[in-house]
Amino acid sequence: MKDVNILAIESSCDETSMAIIKNGCEVVSLTILTQMDTHAEFGGVVPEIASRMHTENITMVLDETLKKASLSKEDIDAIAVTYAPGLLGSLLVGLECAKTIAFVWNKPLIKVNHTIGHIYANNLIKKMQFPLLALIVSGGHTDMVIMKDDYEFEILGSTLDDSIGEVYDKVARVLGLKYPGGPNVEKMALNGACSYDLPKPVNDNTYNFSFSGLKSAVINLIHNEEQRNHEIRKEDLACSFQTIAIDELVRKVELALKNTGIKNMIIAGGVSANKYLREQMKILCEKYNVDLTVPDLIYCTDNAAMIGAAAYPLYLKKEFCGLDTNASSQISIKYYDTSKRD
Amino acid sequence: MYSLFIDTHNELIKIILFKDGKILTDKEKMSNMQHSVYTMPMIEEILKENNIESSNLNEIIVVNGPGSFTGVRIGVTIAKTMAYLLNIPIKSIDTLKMQALLINKDKKIVIENEKNGKYLGIFDKNNNVIQKYKYMKNSEFEEFIKDNVIDEVKIDYEKLYEKLKDEQNINPHAVNPLYIKVIEVLK
Repeated sequence: MKDVNILAIESSCDETSMAIIKNGCEVVSLTILTQMDTHAEFGGVVPEIASRMHTENITMVLDETLKKASLSKEDIDAIAVTYAPGLLGSLLVGLECAKTIAFVWNKPLIKVNHTIGHIYANNLIKKMQFPLLALIVSGGHTDMVIMKDDYEFEILGSTLDDSIGEVYDKVARVLGLKYPGGPNVEKMALNGACSYDLPKPVNDNTYNFSFSGLKSAVINLIHNEEQRNHEIRKEDLACSFQTIAIDELVRKVELALKNTGIKNMIIAGGVSANKYLREQMKILCEKYNVDLTVPDLIYCTDNAAMIGAAAYPLYLKKEFCGLDTNASSQISIKYYDTSKRD
Repeated sequence: MYSLFIDTHNELIKIILFKDGKILTDKEKMSNMQHSVYTMPMIEEILKENNIESSNLNEIIVVNGPGSFTGVRIGVTIAKTMAYLLNIPIKSIDTLKMQALLINKDKKIVIENEKNGKYLGIFDKNNNVIQKYKYMKNSEFEEFIKDNVIDEVKIDYEKLYEKLKDEQNINPHAVNPLYIKVIEVLK
């Protein structure tokens, strides 16, 4: 079969990224331009600034991506782009760029959901084997999903309140850590011990998560210690928080693996870069003889390679979209839940 | 010589196809806050109706603001991507200078309407900016017009095209929106 090369674009938050992906699994070229340093000055992503920077840089990122691949436009089979979820203004820049390329080069356009992109980042490491259990952990998601085949998603459980990424960011803020919060909490936890007693999240046997109680407990603890003029051992608090939060994720995954008997496991989303989570998942999967795949660190954060990987099955099914495609800030993976469709 | 003109700076999306400076087709559509849904299809239609391909285009002209931030970004992104891919010249023109170019006076005071205010441009006879562009809230504008008269002009696009002949082409990577209004976080 002829090779399929997809030019993919991702601009849903603060990374302008483009990639050329061969057959949904091989990275031919990848460019990621991060705006992280700019947003760090404001303590978080400023949507309007993110959109502005995407517009400034979009053709330069395109130029670099095309130059790094020794391919001509004839070798490109389709243009893929993240259309949801994310920051609307940011998504629109990537989307309009993708439409323009598709139009000028006369190629089909494929719209990709960002969260599904995170899942398909795993195909860049090893082709996903079905059925599999996916743990999606990011600033927007904390979901367990069963995939029986490509684009067949069944949501097993989700967070009932905050996402794991949101809680990490909040804890980072109360610990006085800079943006990006999550990785900084993780770094701090490395030098701490689990010496603070924080409440475990609801210890039920559903597949759902809840992290708001843990978040409040950390905030209250800091508040109380400050009032008593006690010094807070920040490293220890970061470590105590991380241990409880991640252990809860792992506990629910264990429950799902036990009950479903699924033998393939993947992790996806920004928080999948967390080393403690990766270690604990490895131990768990070895225990249950489950084949675990985690994306390389570069594919955990936002990147266009995963969008190209996620576009490939859609290309094979010829699920193309028109030049009137709009972006959406909202559409979560739940929209794709095949078990809830007629 | 085919030139594509793209203006998405406000509610009314405007796409014009010129041939040797004469308008072949002029398309307008209300965006209803959805510039993204309509702009590329309008460009596709305008070329199709004139039986030309994007590769036949020789030049892009884009209105780069000030106006709706998102609207302008959509037009500018399309324009710079197209110029880059086709390797053709691109010019950008802002909404204030666009008016000034078509007014014959020693001093020209022009405005661009925005939801809660106006963008103001003051030019000399030769269209040099006398006073840095600024954004005024409606209340501030009320004060301003007590002592000043705003010059109004209906844009004649063929005349505008003629005037733009003297404007420099820009590297597509360097084509960017003009925002003027300072956002809250940067104040």
